[in-house]
Amino acid sequence: MSLRDAPRLETIERWMQAVVMHPEGAAAGVVAKPARRLLPQAAAKLENVVLPSKSLTSLERLNIYAYMYYARLLEILTNEYPTTRQVLGDKVFERVCRRFVQRNPSKHRTLNLLSEKFPAFLGRSLPPGNRRSLAVDVARIERAMEDVFDAPRADALAAAEFAAIGADEWHRVRLRVNPALVLLKLRFPANDYMNATRAGARPRMPRRRATFAIVYRRDFKVFRRDQAPGQFKLLTALARGQTLAQAVRSSVSGHGNADRLAATLGAWFREWATAGIFCGIERAGAGRRGR
Amino acid sequence: MPQASLPNRWNLPDLGLGVGLRTQHFGHITERWPAMDWFEILSENFIDTEGRPLYFLDQIAERYPIVMHGVCLSVGSTDPVDFKFLDKLAALAKRVKAVWLGDHICWTGVAGLNGHDLYPVPYTEEGLRHMVSRVRTIQDYLERPLVLENPSTYLTFASSSMPEEEFIARLAVEADCALLLDVNNVYVTCRNHDLDPVAYLDVMPYEHVVQVHLAGHTDNGTHCIDTHDGRVIDEVWKLYARVHQKTGGRATLLEWDANVPKFSVLQQEVGKAAKFRNGAMLARPVAA
Repeated sequence: MSLRDAPRLETIERWMQAVVMHPEGAAAGVVAKPARRLLPQAAAKLENVVLPSKSLTSLERLNIYAYMYYARLLEILTNEYPTTRQVLGDKVFERVCRRFVQRNPSKHRTLNLLSEKFPAFLGRSLPPGNRRSLAVDVARIERAMEDVFDAPRADALAAAEFAAIGADEWHRVRLRVNPALVLLKLRFPANDYMNATRAGARPRMPRRRATFAIVYRRDFKVFRRDQAPGQFKLLTALARGQTLAQAVRSSVSGHGNADRLAATLGAWFREWATAGIFCGIERAGAGRRGR
Repeated sequence: MPQASLPNRWNLPDLGLGVGLRTQHFGHITERWPAMDWFEILSENFIDTEGRPLYFLDQIAERYPIVMHGVCLSVGSTDPVDFKFLDKLAALAKRVKAVWLGDHICWTGVAGLNGHDLYPVPYTEEGLRHMVSRVRTIQDYLERPLVLENPSTYLTFASSSMPEEEFIARLAVEADCALLLDVNNVYVTCRNHDLDPVAYLDVMPYEHVVQVHLAGHTDNGTHCIDTHDGRVIDEVWKLYARVHQKTGGRATLLEWDANVPKFSVLQQEVGKAAKFRNGAMLARPVAA
């Protein structure tokens, strides 16, 4: 090949990327429009661009990269979504993962965000029905587990610091939630389903029932648990930045008499304190206090 | 017998024998503080995260020298240099007091996409000029030499006008960057391209070589794949011996990334390098 005929570096790179990322493999990639437009001489005769070795053809050599591209990314999705895979079955899961990778190629240097759109993609691309809804719920939990695993660090607020908040301060106190916390409103008891599958069981399709889950990190370990509806509503209001008074008023009105409400709130806040859900107190008119 | 030690251009230290730091061994290392001269981390595993891996790395970096080795710098890509990513690399290097940092002689994506693989460039004058310029830009920005590794490659572009080893040697000299000579990759590449690995090694500018990699691979008969899933084969040890003869000693690291065994197996495998290095054995860390 003369220097004048040699394709430019940028053209070669765009061509090779188009070929190895083609969902049907290198043979289809070489003749597909994006690659053909870049290097028509490769579509005419691949040896014009990639040399064969003594034991492999040009296409077989390219296919090593094409195979590895999908194999690597599918392995990551499989590791991140084991229960989603169980809900869908191996074949459907692999098919939907391939389509996802094809339509959402990685744009990041790290792989942490590869699957951030995967749960929503499942919602759009699977046939409607309960299995799809459960798969989306489970995938949202599994994605949240990835997110809180990598989330910024923050020291949890101690129980004594909660206790120090006087009732007369509720109207001006806001609680800062741990950045490693995700709140999930689900259509199925997906957390229970995950617990069962991860314990080795093969549970039947659960009945549709709204559940409320939190996924959070404490001491560098990821946890998930269900919340009572009022508890979830209150935590959501606090996470949105409402004051304690506003959040309680909007979330738990109608929870019976004052004593029962106080007992319920006490139990919820103790649970959250143990889980390290809050990491700072802000008092209106005072400086931010956090740790 | 090894020749007298050939210093590298930057007087970077011979760190001894190390292994790649993998999540499976975090607990063992931080409980036992085993004998190991140094660790190499995969840079991207500790970027954009503040979770458990970084928590363990902080502790390990207090006791062992750390070298950063990446897979996504993409020094061969025709996309613009990603300075935000360089900032993240620099911040991590500062945090773990990285002795040096590097990546591979390859590209990983173009047009804003990332294939998360090490793709070869055509070995042309244009490719060389492009990579020399990018490596110089990155080194100037980071204010330290990049340590770049020869990749395992599985294809040859018809437009290549020079052999891979010549391209790498010229890149090192013209960009004034350091080299990580992966002797397993030399073996794999030479098998895949019907080349002589000894002739390949003899072209290297050893004053630029600061580190050596050892690893296992999968031999499929028709070609080899760099799988890092087993012990180092005898032919690769022979190549390592040759590099040691040329340099008199370079920081040596064993990579084992799939079917990762117990830490003691890694110690034993990398320890085999000691017989080429005047019997120097792994040292226990000193508490910070």
